Amino acid sequence: MATHKFDVVVVGTGPGGYVSAIRCAQLGLSVATVEDDRPGGVCLNWGCIPTKALLRNAEVVTLLNHAADFGIRLSGFEASYPEAVQRSRRVADRMAKGVEFLFRKNKITLFPGRGTLKAKTVVEVKGTGAAETLEARAVVLATGSEPKSLPGVTIDEKTVISSNGAVRNERAPKSIAVIGAGAVGVEFADVFASYGVQVTLLEALPRVVPIEDEDVSKELSRTFTRRGITIKTGVKVAAVKPGGAGAVVDLGGEKLEVEQVLMAVGRAAKVTGLGLEGVGVQLERGFVKVSPTMETSVKGLYAIGDMAGAPLLAHKAMAEGVVAAEAIAGKSPRPVDYGNVPSCTYCRPQIASIGSTEARAKEAGREVSVGRFPFTANGKAVALGETDGFIKVIADKATGEILGVHIIGPEATEIIHEFAVGRTLEATLEEIIHTIHAHPTLSEAALEATLAALGQAIHI
Amino acid sequence: MAVTKVVMPKLSDAMESGKIIKWLKKEGDRIQGGDILAEVETDKADVEMEAFGAGVLRKILVPAGETAAIGALIGVIAEPGDDIGALVASAAVGGAGAGSGAQKTPLRAEPAPAPPTPAAPPASSPAPAIPTSAPAAPVARPAAVVSAPAAVPAGLGQGTPGARVKASPLAKKIAAQTGVDLRLIQGSGPGGRIIRRDVEAAGSSAAPAAAAALPAAVAGAEFEDVPLTQIRAAIARRMPLSKAPVPHFYVTSEVAMDQAWELREQLNALEGQPKISVNDLVIRACALALLTHPGVNASLQGDAIRVFHRVHIGIAVALEDGLITPVLRDCHAKPLAQIAVEARDLAERARNRKLRAQELSGATFSISNLGMYDVTEFSAIINPPEGAILAVGSVRRVPVVDETGLGVGRRMMLTISCDHRVMDGAMGARFLQDVKRLLEEPLRLLV
Repeated sequence: MATHKFDVVVVGTGPGGYVSAIRCAQLGLSVATVEDDRPGGVCLNWGCIPTKALLRNAEVVTLLNHAADFGIRLSGFEASYPEAVQRSRRVADRMAKGVEFLFRKNKITLFPGRGTLKAKTVVEVKGTGAAETLEARAVVLATGSEPKSLPGVTIDEKTVISSNGAVRNERAPKSIAVIGAGAVGVEFADVFASYGVQVTLLEALPRVVPIEDEDVSKELSRTFTRRGITIKTGVKVAAVKPGGAGAVVDLGGEKLEVEQVLMAVGRAAKVTGLGLEGVGVQLERGFVKVSPTMETSVKGLYAIGDMAGAPLLAHKAMAEGVVAAEAIAGKSPRPVDYGNVPSCTYCRPQIASIGSTEARAKEAGREVSVGRFPFTANGKAVALGETDGFIKVIADKATGEILGVHIIGPEATEIIHEFAVGRTLEATLEEIIHTIHAHPTLSEAALEATLAALGQAIHI
Repeated sequence: MAVTKVVMPKLSDAMESGKIIKWLKKEGDRIQGGDILAEVETDKADVEMEAFGAGVLRKILVPAGETAAIGALIGVIAEPGDDIGALVASAAVGGAGAGSGAQKTPLRAEPAPAPPTPAAPPASSPAPAIPTSAPAAPVARPAAVVSAPAAVPAGLGQGTPGARVKASPLAKKIAAQTGVDLRLIQGSGPGGRIIRRDVEAAGSSAAPAAAAALPAAVAGAEFEDVPLTQIRAAIARRMPLSKAPVPHFYVTSEVAMDQAWELREQLNALEGQPKISVNDLVIRACALALLTHPGVNASLQGDAIRVFHRVHIGIAVALEDGLITPVLRDCHAKPLAQIAVEARDLAERARNRKLRAQELSGATFSISNLGMYDVTEFSAIINPPEGAILAVGSVRRVPVVDETGLGVGRRMMLTISCDHRVMDGAMGARFLQDVKRLLEEPLRLLV
């Protein structure tokens, strides 16, 4: 068995792992990565990126359906779902190749295979060939997460699918029940609905996108319902059984017959089969317990990304990857500011948020002022024909501190960063309103919502 | 736009209240953040007060000549349309009352302005006057003095005097609202930027505002009570806080100053070089010796001894009505000429009351020199939370006996006062020995 020595071994090459590996290499460390799938992890291959490609298709289909609104009369068109999936695969392939290119550029060695900890900083890689041993000064674990299911429901990726199956679906079903109205659930609901699938969105909590601000949930429910998506909130799935055209979802009384069921009830950290127990890594509620510099309870062993705890977001994993790399290189990185991680959902209308919801800010005892501005009053949004949604700004009444911002509407996921930067710099409402926003832009709505929080909105 | 409360800022470690000397802006003036609003007399110096918010100076609540506790509302900046009625009304019963109440206490045995009834002439009923003002003027709490250094680390982040304070907009607002002086805070953000948590930490460790004005007793005709100036009040308040809880011990040593004297004359004969005083030589010697004896450059902080890596020396400067100790920072890193120039500048500005607030805090050691008063030797009181102070006597011509017999030499007495909780006699003695050696072989001060 061949033994190789590196400064750092990164296990898993998703957005956390590959960023951490590159940052380590930039800091002059010799780096090996271990990957049992393709470089890029779930994000590039099966998650963020291919779904964004599908959602773009969904958007184009929706636009074509509304061509008449623009005075464009089409004599019918055919939207091929298999080709949409093929396009999303090409996009994913291109991004995964990009990661391989970055590894070569940064002289990072990729070991294909499954990595297991043999000692604190010794990783054994079992691939197609002979096993290899990697010895390192530090190991970064970045093995990510996998879809969860409900008790008693097996994901077969045919009738009962997870997001992994959904991005591989070769054809669109006639009907689908999406269980879970979080980010993954509402994004696929959007894609399938755009392709004419009869979608029923099921959520156990009282509202869709339950971690978002209540007003955002209401607006999404309104637009989804208008698009023909059936929403059932506050429902408990008692069982999913084969039957009818595919499966029967038992809602404890009501039974729902659908061709496919998409399980989108959350993700669980991948922490088994890595040899964590052998070296004594402590877990906490199913995730690896880490320090502010991402070190586990075992010295020299780091964990980042989904496996290291919520929020399970690629950009949070990337930020943690950088922190881990810099800590390993002996620098003193600023820890990730978990209170300032933007959250983005790419359904239509898009949803983006940062900081506290209005309810949470009030629970925390803050006296808040709230500003709201609808896209119907924004010139650019009207010109685009994308007037659903609004921007809501929640600020501390006394200081103008920006406690939270919630956007639902066109390009919400791009607009949010103005507030992310603002919050990092500890800007208050005043600095935002003294920033001239170009006209006409969707970002003007950000300015207006901020003005509204001070009772000074101009255009409403 | 937000309404900005203008509060009496905390401009030095020991400051508890400040007197408005004059307002540089008047009601109705438009204010930008950073504008100088007023001049404030604190316990140590006259300091300019900056505006943190922008808008119009709508209301001045504490007029020139009156005193306000730190944190008390003294004015309001807002846009013309903003309703400030409630804020002004709340100030009338709260913060501002503390200051004006103190001022209203009779200071001299003057006949009171004709009272409506002759039944209660002020001289015959002093008692009610004092209790009324007492709640507004609580006795200074020792905690205020002891805890202040925690909020004001010795290595002040905003090193260069007059430099722009790097702070986030939110930090500035919270500071303005809570009366925390940003210039006295070390920032923990990128590049030392002051962020919210720094201000909040400073706000919670600083003692709540307390009015400093001491109620004066009503006097009889045979004597006169001179009201305490801010500076005298501060000395009166702080010195017992040192002498009582800090167990002082003293070590005295005589230094042969012949060579130092000669070197100084040679240096001062050089054209284009700053004039060097004996005190400058002592400062330099102490700075070097403190580096080798960090245990003396130390301070008791609750259950730990904080040993400072940098040497900031407080130089006692006598004023007509008291004494002030401006701080010469980073003495260990400064050559003699620079020490001379900066020490002279500090002393001059101290006499003219033109010191900046940040020049009055953060000393790790102090020197008090009474040499100009023909003093053989004396002992000084430690200025907490510092761990030691050096008292410097005059350089005297005295008869000395050496190998050749009886001659005349120049001698100077040094007495160090040390906090026995921080160090022991031997440590003080070894430090003093080094200072003596440096002064007796003064070329060492130049290398």
